[in-house]
Amino acid sequence: MTQPLLDVRDLRKHFVTRTGRLSRARKVVKAVDGVSFTVGVGETLGLVGESGCGKSTLARTVLFLELPTSGEILFEGGRVTEGEAKRLRRRAQIVFQDPYASLPPRMRIEKILADPLAIHGLADRAAIPERVVQLLRDVGLGDGVARKLPHQLSGGQRQRVGIARALSVQPSLIVADEAVSSLDASVRAQILNLLKDIQERQRLSYLFVSHDLGVVKYMSHRIAVMYLGEIVELAPADPLYERPLHPYTRALLSAVPSLGRDGRGRIRLEGEPPDPGDPPSGCKFHPRCPLAQPICSQTAPELKEWLPGRFAACHFALADIEPKPRPETAT
Amino acid sequence: MSGLATTRADELTAAAAAPPARGRVALRRLGRRKGSIVGIAGLAVVASVAAFAPLISPYEPLAQDITNTLAPPVWAEGGSLEHVLGTDSLGRDVATRLAYGARNSLAISVAAALIGSLLGLITGLVAGFFGGWVDSVLMRLGDMQLAFPFILLAVVILGVIAERTVLHLILVLGVPGWIVYARVVRSRVLAEREKEYVTAARAVGASGPRTLFRYVLPSVWQVIPVIAMLDLGFLVIVESTLSFLGFGLTPPTPSWGSTLAEGRQFLVVSPWLPVLPGLAIMFTVLSINLTADGLADVVDPRLTKGSFRRQMLRLPSRYNRDRGDDQPLLRVRDLAVEFPLGERVVRAVRGISFDLERGQTVGIVGESGSGKSVTALAIIQLLDAPGRVTGGEILLDGQDLTRIDRKAMAALRGRRIGMIFQNPASSLNPVLTIGFQLTETIRTQLRLPQEKAESMARDALLSVGIGNAEHILRRYPFELSGGMNQRVMIAMAMAGRPDLLIADEPTTALDVTTQAQVLEQLRDVTRASDTSLILITHDIALVAEYADAILVMYAGQVCEAGPAETVIRDPKHPYTRALLDSLPRADTPSGARLQAIPGELPDPTIVPRGCPFAPRCPCVLDISWEINPELVEVGPGQTAACHLWTPDEARGAAR
Repeated sequence: MTQPLLDVRDLRKHFVTRTGRLSRARKVVKAVDGVSFTVGVGETLGLVGESGCGKSTLARTVLFLELPTSGEILFEGGRVTEGEAKRLRRRAQIVFQDPYASLPPRMRIEKILADPLAIHGLADRAAIPERVVQLLRDVGLGDGVARKLPHQLSGGQRQRVGIARALSVQPSLIVADEAVSSLDASVRAQILNLLKDIQERQRLSYLFVSHDLGVVKYMSHRIAVMYLGEIVELAPADPLYERPLHPYTRALLSAVPSLGRDGRGRIRLEGEPPDPGDPPSGCKFHPRCPLAQPICSQTAPELKEWLPGRFAACHFALADIEPKPRPETAT
Repeated sequence: MSGLATTRADELTAAAAAPPARGRVALRRLGRRKGSIVGIAGLAVVASVAAFAPLISPYEPLAQDITNTLAPPVWAEGGSLEHVLGTDSLGRDVATRLAYGARNSLAISVAAALIGSLLGLITGLVAGFFGGWVDSVLMRLGDMQLAFPFILLAVVILGVIAERTVLHLILVLGVPGWIVYARVVRSRVLAEREKEYVTAARAVGASGPRTLFRYVLPSVWQVIPVIAMLDLGFLVIVESTLSFLGFGLTPPTPSWGSTLAEGRQFLVVSPWLPVLPGLAIMFTVLSINLTADGLADVVDPRLTKGSFRRQMLRLPSRYNRDRGDDQPLLRVRDLAVEFPLGERVVRAVRGISFDLERGQTVGIVGESGSGKSVTALAIIQLLDAPGRVTGGEILLDGQDLTRIDRKAMAALRGRRIGMIFQNPASSLNPVLTIGFQLTETIRTQLRLPQEKAESMARDALLSVGIGNAEHILRRYPFELSGGMNQRVMIAMAMAGRPDLLIADEPTTALDVTTQAQVLEQLRDVTRASDTSLILITHDIALVAEYADAILVMYAGQVCEAGPAETVIRDPKHPYTRALLDSLPRADTPSGARLQAIPGELPDPTIVPRGCPFAPRCPCVLDISWEINPELVEVGPGQTAACHLWTPDEARGAAR
């Protein structure tokens, strides 16, 4: 395979918080704890997990909106450093969850779209209005929207503006951070299709972050499942949904309410995700895992390729296929 | 069809949402308060007197006339038109002195307020945006300054200046004012800085100063005029006080404060001398404050107090209420709810009807603005003012909840009807333990002694699957996860064993694995006590799994209803069908394309003539634009409101 567009290596983002107002004790929350993945040109990598798993922090750290604690980010072949953040933002953009909060409330749409062009010097002053209209058309909005303020638009229209803003610098990567989660069902499909159309037209790559397994499946070529700051499974979309290797992925999939099923045969997870500031020993999932063995509380499993292209961080990833768990070698 | 086309509905909602030009709105808002009109008029009078002082006064402010001292004003005995307001002890014309005094007083106060606000705006922006040590240093400086009395500071500084000019006073009064503005601006910047659009500005590559001035400043500067106006009133008083104390403009320069001080000595002979400048000061400050009030409304319309009184419904009952055995637990008929908002009326619910049997679960599904939550709040009579039921009946065991008084309704809540909300953390009191809140609820609802209530609280937690009840009872809500808090809410709502439980998006704020646990718990606990459940959600898949019957709502109406399994397997209304087709699901084959519903949700203030779904409907008929379809039977127990299903003869008749 050719060089990936984005190559994230062992990325970590730790937050240090004081435990109390007066106490000196500090707690380290490992929001992202040693994550590696790649996103190819024109590819969508889905990032799925529950709240607090670190997926949004990861999305923001990739764009240097949060400074990584350690690890490497290679983008378009070059290593990104803090000083080069502006170069990164010329080629990598983000679409946020809340179309109400993510647009400046007192700026007209045309200014919102023109500002990135001005910042990066991408268009002459005279050419900017034309470019703004073009961007609006690209996301299915009429020219009339340009003169409006964000509060005059509906949620779906606003999210289209958010996408147009991301597209304005002609990026090669867009990070979509729960980009459709706050939209109503009947509008959500429009936006998902729009994102797919744009990808086809412009050969964009997406890092698509969502808690909604249905949405991630629809959008992604490959999917990474996160739990407590780590990727526990990474695989192409179809096999991941057909036969997940990690017990957490299995539980997650079975918890999704689905039409025409009454919940029988559901894997019911006990408890809730532990405090990320005080994760369990060994495999972080072991206290809730239906397959947990003594080894799971002692040794943290590594993310290994168990089947071609399919990675999982579990000692017993193939337990339901082969009676003998823990293969000696991983290919 | 792809989602790219801007549809008719798009344009409709956009047109409806576009308010008139901002300036006009501001003026109208300012004009709505009589007080602010009076204030502006008063201020205009003072300002024009100050501006045109040389034109309207026949004398020089310093011109003395020893032959005519302490002349009375025109209305007093011995007064003449020559000196309308009389003369002072040196024979100077009082009217002229006051007019020039207004000039000095306003010039000093306005300039001081401008300087203070400008300094404050800049320091507030910088402190709030950059934070860290910059913020600490600036704010501690402000604290130190505030610890020292303002007037004393002014007196100390002005005391050492021999010849005090307007400029001196402007600086001494203006510069220390920065902290007042800076604090407010800083706190607003801190709030704005956390908002996503600021992160978005960084993400497109905007530098710090650019973000601050282009993105943050437009959202925070609006507080400045209001504070400046209030500050102005304060400064007029302080300037007069300083003059009165002899630290104002060096005499004989005219000022209200010094005129007042001089006049004080002649209080007995010429009482008007101190009274007139006093009135001038009062009039000015009052005008300024009234204007400031109106200005606050313009800048922040949320401060406006509207009419939030809810009117009681007085409608004749159209349904007989004999309590037959076939009576369902809950019968809703033609329920209509409206929210009058100024000139517009939001018709949130427009005539919905359904029955709910004892022990059954009905799922109400809809998108935002469909009226699903409003329906729930109407049933438990907890609509936010000014929302009110404007028609229909809500019969709980034959008793119409829309027509019983507040006290009787309060007695029903908790004991017969319970409710849980989307966000459990905000439904619980953050400073009281779970145990206290749960026990208190049980004690008051069931009128039980303390010990009995405590043991019931433990049982209630056990019933929703909380094993370590003792431990949880001692915790505060913020120490528990969202899922745990929601279970506590369920336990609390179910403790009184109500006949009906309304759950409004109970798991929307929860994670998917927690959601499954909580919903199963909810199902078990309602089944155990034969409680009927109304499950309100935007997620049709949830209803498929957890409800017996389903009610699909769109634009305040029911568009389809029936047994959950039937409706989902074989939807008859184009909206239900489109909604199901537009859901990306875990079992959607990859490569397939979602059937998006074109257009946007309808504007709730516009009541369409025909079917509300017509603008987005793939199978719209001519008649759909004209006549709103009624619910008709389309299968066993299944009804849909669509002209595709209205019998031909009915359609013909309608046409």
